[in-house]
Amino acid sequence: MTAVNLNIVKNMYNRLPSMQVSKDKVIDKVAYIGKKWSSPHQRAILGVTALVMQPYIDWKNKSVDEKTRKVAVARTVAKIIAGTLTGVALRAGFIKGIAAMSKTAAEIPANAKPFTKKLKQCLTPKNLDPSNKDALAQYRNAMGTILSLGAMIFTNFLIDAPLTKFLTNQFIKIQEKGENK
Amino acid sequence: MFSPSKMWNGFKSYIYKNYGENPGSMLVHTGVLGWILSSMAQVYAVVFNNKISKEQKVFLIPQEIADAAVNILSFYTLTSGVKYIGSKLTKTAKLRTSDITDLLKKGGHILEKGQKRVENKVYAGDWNFDITKLDNYNSEIADKFKPFRNGAEVITGLIGSVISSNLVTPIARNKYAAIKQKQALSNMNKPSEKDNVNNVNYDSRMSMERYQNLAASKYSSGSLKI
Repeated sequence: MTAVNLNIVKNMYNRLPSMQVSKDKVIDKVAYIGKKWSSPHQRAILGVTALVMQPYIDWKNKSVDEKTRKVAVARTVAKIIAGTLTGVALRAGFIKGIAAMSKTAAEIPANAKPFTKKLKQCLTPKNLDPSNKDALAQYRNAMGTILSLGAMIFTNFLIDAPLTKFLTNQFIKIQEKGENK
Repeated sequence: MFSPSKMWNGFKSYIYKNYGENPGSMLVHTGVLGWILSSMAQVYAVVFNNKISKEQKVFLIPQEIADAAVNILSFYTLTSGVKYIGSKLTKTAKLRTSDITDLLKKGGHILEKGQKRVENKVYAGDWNFDITKLDNYNSEIADKFKPFRNGAEVITGLIGSVISSNLVTPIARNKYAAIKQKQALSNMNKPSEKDNVNNVNYDSRMSMERYQNLAASKYSSGSLKI
């Protein structure tokens, strides 16, 4: 049965017309995104789209009363802002930090002290192909993202939680002011 | 023998080998890791919060775990699913650049308009076509294909993560929270049974108002990962 279904999918796929991207501008943009965009961009895009979509979803959630919905919207907006700010900053910071400590031999000045050399290469992978700059950049993005996630377990409590609480209270105050007008 | 230095070097090599040329996969995997870590932190926050009573913990911990399962599963299935579409379209050359079309035409891999399909031959754009398996892949195609594939995978991965994190998960969570509220309400309205085999003390069950306050005040009930 599954094999039959897969064959149907395959046949449908084969019948679909192929698509060709011819505009150099578009091709370059796609390549640029693949090369340069990483987790900070992903987090920022998630944050911006969340700000557009999630408060609306919470506001339209008719299974709770209006007062709860207002608080939910305020909390959602606050959490998105706090989470996005710390998430983007930490990811970008860690990726930059990892880049500084994962240099190739060619990137370190010849007259650098042995300790500096060691420090600047302490995160350089042993199986590095020095000619493949893109792979090294992606490695830095991946390593920076993974280590920043570890750090974010703590900043989640230390920064996100109090900032979310503070912003929620501010937004509720604004809501109340608007209602009293 | 166990050596932390060897392990660390192994970890770095693993990251380089697996993500050096797969930025799209890295975004999906670290996204899932992010959800797992933030979910763990949320469960931890409930387990070790002295202000929450044992009875409330019995109720809240499974709720947090279920919440985490919804977040992680929806993120992984949707994001990797949409990214797979991008990956499949480029690998089978269903979606390609004009440069790649020229190279494929040269190799006779494109079925031209009006041309009859040769039986058992796999053409560009077919489900079983794999551009990376062509003889001239490394020498001619890779340089043009890899940046385009990576970009397509990152873009589709981003689309998948936006759909899952900002659309499916919040709606699923709201529905789930509404069901949980209803359950809490119906539990509240049940008469307490002293001889109940369950050890939970129903007389000290949280009130609906308290439940709502708790659900609204715990910082983890929001909708974004770390």
